Amino acid sequence: MIKLSHVSKRYPNGHEALKDVSFDLAAGEMAFLAGHSGAGKSTLFKLITRIEKPTSGQIIVDNQNLSRMRSSKVPALRREIGVIFQDHKLLFDRSVFDNVALPLIVIGLPHDEIQKRVRAALGKVGLSGKEKQYPVTLSGGEQQRVGIARAVINRPNILLADEPTGNLDEALSDEIIDIFADFNQVGVTVLIATHDLRQVERLNKRTIHLVQGQLVENAISSGKSEVE
Amino acid sequence: MGTYIARHLQVLFATLGDLRRTPMSTINTLLIIAITLLLPCLLYVTVKSAQTLSDSWEGRPQISIFLKKEISDDTATLIFEEVKLHPSIELAEFVTPEQALAEFKVLSKGEANLEQELAFLGENPLPPSIVVMPDKASAKSEKLIALKDELSQFDGIESVRLDLDWTDRFNAMLLVFSRVAMLLSGLLALGLILIVGNTIKLLIFNRRHEIEITKLVGGTDTFVRRPFLYYGTLFGLLGSIISLGLLLGAASLVAQPLNQLAELYQSNGLIHQVTALEMLAVVLVGSLLGWLAARWSVAQHLRDIQPK
Repeated sequence: MIKLSHVSKRYPNGHEALKDVSFDLAAGEMAFLAGHSGAGKSTLFKLITRIEKPTSGQIIVDNQNLSRMRSSKVPALRREIGVIFQDHKLLFDRSVFDNVALPLIVIGLPHDEIQKRVRAALGKVGLSGKEKQYPVTLSGGEQQRVGIARAVINRPNILLADEPTGNLDEALSDEIIDIFADFNQVGVTVLIATHDLRQVERLNKRTIHLVQGQLVENAISSGKSEVE
Repeated sequence: MGTYIARHLQVLFATLGDLRRTPMSTINTLLIIAITLLLPCLLYVTVKSAQTLSDSWEGRPQISIFLKKEISDDTATLIFEEVKLHPSIELAEFVTPEQALAEFKVLSKGEANLEQELAFLGENPLPPSIVVMPDKASAKSEKLIALKDELSQFDGIESVRLDLDWTDRFNAMLLVFSRVAMLLSGLLALGLILIVGNTIKLLIFNRRHEIEITKLVGGTDTFVRRPFLYYGTLFGLLGSIISLGLLLGAASLVAQPLNQLAELYQSNGLIHQVTALEMLAVVLVGSLLGWLAARWSVAQHLRDIQPK
């Protein structure tokens, strides 16, 4: 589903965020992307959602080569990928309903269909009945779940989550990671960037380590590790 | 198709809601647009009124042909016949020296000096002349000048005097004025585009965060720019409606004293009544300019806003 071959990203200031990274995430797979802050996790997500372009290498998402993708096709790509951001990226002057509905409004779904799906998504993340509230009135964990509801509302094939448990307590973190696991159960490809090793151990999934922009892959379940 | 219209209506109402939520800045913008549009409208009404005025005069210029003094009466009659048959001439009247003198005496009645001088000369100093009225088609200034030149070539004609009377001068000035008005209107339209474009630019930057997120969740450029196009068009539409209100108000303010003036000159309805079609045109042009301004602004600024 997501395939990177020899991807490097160097910023104009000379900082090399990713160095020759290659990995392949199969459809329906769930993996963690681990590494310290500054290891290149966010850069990787930006490349996959084509917010940025790699300096070299090839990225293929759902059989589409992002290097050759015209900018007019980018919106269609982003509709296939649900992204959860560390800073939530919510609109604070809009209600919870409007925030979650945005990906559906963008594709022009009829209003009653939007209403149905927003209710379902909010129910799924445990925020039923909070449609009319504004994000500021919600706690950090609730805001994070609004972001998740928005990411999944369009039933994407891929979910990317950047530090979704960043500043949540353990119980809340478990709850949120379990929501992702649930989506993975129904066939969604999930990639979670985190430095929360507790979650990595708890779920026992494939883990891709990034160390200073270079890839170190561990398959925790089998205990072996490969170094590239 | 239904969804498409519903989507547009949704953006329209959302934009109207946004405009209502910031009434002061909306009113400010609308007034600036209205006044910018009002100036060309006022110029138009002025030109139109002046044209109605000049049409109502229906004045046609005269040409006076002075014959050489020494020619015989027969030759003079011959020339008169020839002039009379000229295709561009509708009416020709022969004025003998005696008639001219009589007319002169009537006109200069009471001016003792002139009469004394005439008496001193002993003989009639006035030449025979022909007064000519060209037909309607030749009553335009440039054709008149050509006709004048042609007549001057005739044998036995001393001089031809063309009285481009003051209606012509008025029309010529009106033409200059309307050209200046058009130029000014063009400049004001450009100004309007810049004003609305700048307002849209500020709106775009205010909604930067929203634009980034919309692009992140897969909003197309068309989707992102749509509300701003609505903003521009609505600004133009509402601004031009206010402008029409101001125009009608200004016209009614001027109409009363102007009609009093018209009565004195036995004329009526000096001021141009703005027709429904003209009002529609103002509203359409206003909306179009607003839309254009938004297109221009969006093309300049929206591409730069990308998710980070």
